[in-house]
Amino acid sequence: MKPTSQNVFAPNSVSGDGEATLRLIANLPAPEGLEDRVKAGLRSAPRTGRVLQWPTGLRSSSGWMRGVAAAAIVFVVAGGGWGIYSRVQPTPSARVIVMPVRTGAAGGFSNAGAMRTPQTLNGPVVVPPATTVTPKSKVDQKAAKSAVASGTNAGNKAGIQPETRPTP
Amino acid sequence: MEIPESAVDEQDRMQAEEATLAALVSQYAGTLYRVAFSVLRNPADAEDAVQEAFIRVLRHRDMLAEVRDERVWLIRIVWNIVLDRKRRAKTRPETDDVAELARVLPSKGLSAEELASAAQHHAHVLGCVEQLPAKEREVLMLSAFEELSSVEIASVLNITESSVRSRLFRARNLMAELLHHSRSLR
Repeated sequence: MKPTSQNVFAPNSVSGDGEATLRLIANLPAPEGLEDRVKAGLRSAPRTGRVLQWPTGLRSSSGWMRGVAAAAIVFVVAGGGWGIYSRVQPTPSARVIVMPVRTGAAGGFSNAGAMRTPQTLNGPVVVPPATTVTPKSKVDQKAAKSAVASGTNAGNKAGIQPETRPTP
Repeated sequence: MEIPESAVDEQDRMQAEEATLAALVSQYAGTLYRVAFSVLRNPADAEDAVQEAFIRVLRHRDMLAEVRDERVWLIRIVWNIVLDRKRRAKTRPETDDVAELARVLPSKGLSAEELASAAQHHAHVLGCVEQLPAKEREVLMLSAFEELSSVEIASVLNITESSVRSRLFRARNLMAELLHHSRSLR
């Protein structure tokens, strides 16, 4: 008796019932004439199932022909690779070292290329004499306008002198 | 006109291949049919699967010399075909199984009523088998073939023998639960 897997089963269990069904189905006889139909199907089936079919005439001497074909493929692939390698020259390395633009830390501000200049001491400041006095506030402006309109010295009372033109 | 020697060799080789294939068909067509039928449960589909399996063998006939166990190799081919077909097909309703089983089950010494009852019972059991997880179901179905040892099942499914045994144990327990549950409902 073969060491079949069914030997591990307990025959009287509930699942033994299910197994009996499976066994019954598994051992049903094949229909009559099955072999003949399969053989007939094979005779009419196409025999070429390969993507690339090896030529029939070369089959008998396929031993060395396949070797030659494989060598030819290797030669073509290697030759093509060498051709590409020999034509494409590697670019020479640059002589000028380009420094990368320094940027501020993430989230910070950059100086936008501004140059830092040292602070120098302030020299003496010459103040030119004031020749004209311009009104400083709206009240003064109104007073000046009214003074000009009335021709009185009201503007002088407000402390504003009329605009004087330098004489040539 | 002379026939080249290479052409004669080629003819001989093809004749030898055809003879080998015909011998394989004669020897294993029945086994492959039973494997296919146990999964597909339809005679026409099972026969188609067997046909397809041998066509695959014809296409890969160069490998025949390297095959150690032709029977297991063929079962594995047909097993893959039927699983693929079953995956693509919709789930069979139980009523289909009842009708099909009533037609194919041996009816010696059984009345029509008994035969219908038996078919219904077997269809119900098969419905429970369908509820099993795929791994457990496959092992259980292959174990039903008395021709296949656990080593051969392991070879067909490409797993270890210990995996076959553990899956079989789980499948049996699950089947017992399912059948017990359905009986208690009745």
